[in-house]
Amino acid sequence: MKLSTMALRNIQLNFKKYVMYFFSLTFCVFTAYSFLALIQNEEIKQALTYDDRYQALLTSFGVIIMIFVLFFLLSSNNSFIKARKKEISTYALFGMTNAKIGKLLFLETMIIGVATLIIGIASGVFFSKLIAMILLTITLETFTGNISFYIDPISILLTVILFLIIFSIMGLSGLRVISKFQLVDLFKGAKLSEGKTKGSYIGLLFSLTLIGTGYSLATMLDDPERISNFTLLILLLVILGTYMFFWVGLPKLIHLLKNKKDAYYQGDNLIATSFLSHRVITISSTMATIAVLSAVGTTAIATGYTLYSNVENNTYDTIGYDMYYYWADENVLDSVYDTFDMYGTTVTDQHTVTLYETSPKTNNVVGGNIHYNFGPDNYFRIYSLSEFWALTSIAKKDIPLITLEEGKALYARNYYSNDLEEAIIGHELHFSEKTLEITSIINEDIGTFGALHTIVVNDSDYESLRESGDISTRGSNAHVFNYSNALSSRDLNNDLTAVLRGNVGSYRTAYTHFSEAMETFGLVCFIGFFMSVVFILMTASLLYFRQVVAAEEEKHQFQMLRKIGMDSSTEKKVITKRLFPIFFIPLVIGIIHSIFAMKAADTMIFTQIISVDNSYPTVLAFSAVMYTVYAVIYGVFYYITKSQYRRIVR
Amino acid sequence: MQILTVDSISKVYGSKKNGKQYQALKNITFQVNKGEFIGVMGSSGSGKTTLLNILGSIDKPTTGSFEMAGNEIALLGKKELANHRMKNIGFIFQDYNLLETMTLKENILLPLALQGASTEQMEEKLLPLITDLGIKEVANKYPYEVSGGEQQRAAACRALITKPKLILADEPTGNLDSKSSKDLLNLLTYINKEYNATILLVTHDVFAASYCEKILFIRDGEIYNELYSGENKKQFFDSIIDVMTVLGGERK
Repeated sequence: MKLSTMALRNIQLNFKKYVMYFFSLTFCVFTAYSFLALIQNEEIKQALTYDDRYQALLTSFGVIIMIFVLFFLLSSNNSFIKARKKEISTYALFGMTNAKIGKLLFLETMIIGVATLIIGIASGVFFSKLIAMILLTITLETFTGNISFYIDPISILLTVILFLIIFSIMGLSGLRVISKFQLVDLFKGAKLSEGKTKGSYIGLLFSLTLIGTGYSLATMLDDPERISNFTLLILLLVILGTYMFFWVGLPKLIHLLKNKKDAYYQGDNLIATSFLSHRVITISSTMATIAVLSAVGTTAIATGYTLYSNVENNTYDTIGYDMYYYWADENVLDSVYDTFDMYGTTVTDQHTVTLYETSPKTNNVVGGNIHYNFGPDNYFRIYSLSEFWALTSIAKKDIPLITLEEGKALYARNYYSNDLEEAIIGHELHFSEKTLEITSIINEDIGTFGALHTIVVNDSDYESLRESGDISTRGSNAHVFNYSNALSSRDLNNDLTAVLRGNVGSYRTAYTHFSEAMETFGLVCFIGFFMSVVFILMTASLLYFRQVVAAEEEKHQFQMLRKIGMDSSTEKKVITKRLFPIFFIPLVIGIIHSIFAMKAADTMIFTQIISVDNSYPTVLAFSAVMYTVYAVIYGVFYYITKSQYRRIVR
Repeated sequence: MQILTVDSISKVYGSKKNGKQYQALKNITFQVNKGEFIGVMGSSGSGKTTLLNILGSIDKPTTGSFEMAGNEIALLGKKELANHRMKNIGFIFQDYNLLETMTLKENILLPLALQGASTEQMEEKLLPLITDLGIKEVANKYPYEVSGGEQQRAAACRALITKPKLILADEPTGNLDSKSSKDLLNLLTYINKEYNATILLVTHDVFAASYCEKILFIRDGEIYNELYSGENKKQFFDSIIDVMTVLGGERK
């Protein structure tokens, strides 16, 4: 018999075990090809405004995914070989040299590898148009065009080379594993006792303490800067805690479960728990890795999705209107209206405000360790309350209606720290005849129009300040607009910016901000999706493989149990209780990790992007959608594994 | 009192369509009374394992019927069958088949746990049994931590704990050296006498069979002969050998 026939036959025999692995490997090839092809797709480059950023993001995440895939393939390949120890030792017993066995395994890897390459690349080519369309649809609000079908030979070549290298490394590491086998192990027989542990209370408590510390750091720190300093520490604590939990904590929990005699001595509990406690040692590292990867995967996809879903809100939170400009030439307004007419655009709101400024005598404010320069060189933009209302009422975001009594002023600024808020409340502004006290502060930059500081005062105060000459103007106006199809017409936006560029002091359009954010966060979402799917597939296929191997070892035990009188409904219960924790615990821990990670991400990013008082519930609501999706996909793998397990032990 | 009535059981493997039929059992008829220690002998391929599987209600006969504890087994549904196995039959396997993942105590309690007995009930039944069979000290150890003899006795305890109507022993001495075989057979005899347990022992080992009170010989799926042990053990042993020689010699 030739080696190649043997390799083929081995694959055939082990097909059930490999099928998931094969599937996930195919998806990796698919991902690699798709990314490579997307990077080189000219049509996408033209469609996207920020194509260099797009390429950089795809490339760097592609590399991260591939590195992960490499390590994961190496470790799972080694456990595949270990699972076939008996078979391999038999070869050795009949006189096959290690080199030849290595060659056989290498051949098997290559046959599977080439098959996955062909299927993966073929499906990559087949779906390339779809993938490109999906990418453009989620990144471009206005995308309605068509992408032509294409086959990219360079990407195919690169993918083939990349994976051949990975497969070669796998083959070599397999050889290393084989050379460590001792023939005598074959005769020792495969006893089920894979080493059991009762775990330890200290370990359990220690692991929970580690995780708890990480969690509390993530929740307690509410300063973006401090939390980013602590990120690494939090990650270390939580990851270490997770592994500790699965190594010593979980065995202890199972042991505690065993001591609850009344529940434990129920037929199905007894069987499932004892099976599980014997397996937990060998699978604890895998479970911990899966928990950590699930946390990373869910956090990535939840972050991307949350950002992506809030792009429109964020656009108006940042800009306030569909367009504004100030310090304009006289004729600009006419040109703008001409442009609107050209596109048949209806202007829904328009407001023009004359810009006034003031420079009261005041002291600098020290908030935390930052000095806010309030000196005479810096003027304040000043509005009467009614004028400010006029501006805010047509803004496309929720701004609380403010009231001000005489003698009091409101300070408006985008993003301020708690320190500044404390320092500035009660601060006094000395005008020539009057002194006003800042009594409130809002997180708002509407009406700033080029100034660093904005204050709003009561209408009568405003009048008296004007009379006393404290308020001056350079005679320039600011114009704000809301109009139809503001976010959907790229051409309108291009023409408007062409009119404004160079003719006004400054301008912003919602469209520009919106499309940039959509491109970036849409891409993050897209990549996050692929990354999560690769993670799920890889980890779930490893779990599947482990359980299928375990099922074969446990087969005769089930036969015996059936003879004792275990009926099929009990058997179902046993299998469920035996498998469910293995899938469920890592997922739940991963999601809990992610919930806390989202809290840290909330402090760092989301509070500034989502302008709700407490953005965390919003973030969690969006994340929950992705957690559900993740859990459902994961659940599908659980059911596949369960039905396969049931089939084997029958 | 009859525990088991087997009435002309046949078992055919394979389907009629492809013509590859194989008759494993032909018209087997016999009865077992309470407290009997019966041996079933035959060379490999004679159909004794098939018979055991049918008696253990793991397999069903093609034709014929057998009654046990007042139930016509062929008429029972899947769930009732499992229940019947749990309540009425105790198994002792070759290699004892203790679950490696459980302590001896848990292994012994397993049938009760499957029946859903309460913890007190279990402890109540367990204690006299393990004390009597001398494995009380090692009850909380795992099978691979105790000696083969102790595993044997644990397996016997597991078969006994439900007070089954019939204990089926499938080649229990198959993998044992003569000393352990003797221990096990003495143990079975002890159970038979002390607990008045009805035992059906399937074996091809003449020495093991000589412990039985009555032996059924099976050849090519049919009952070929029956032997009863008399006062003289040596004579019984010799006559078993004689029958077995004939059985073995005539095989094609």
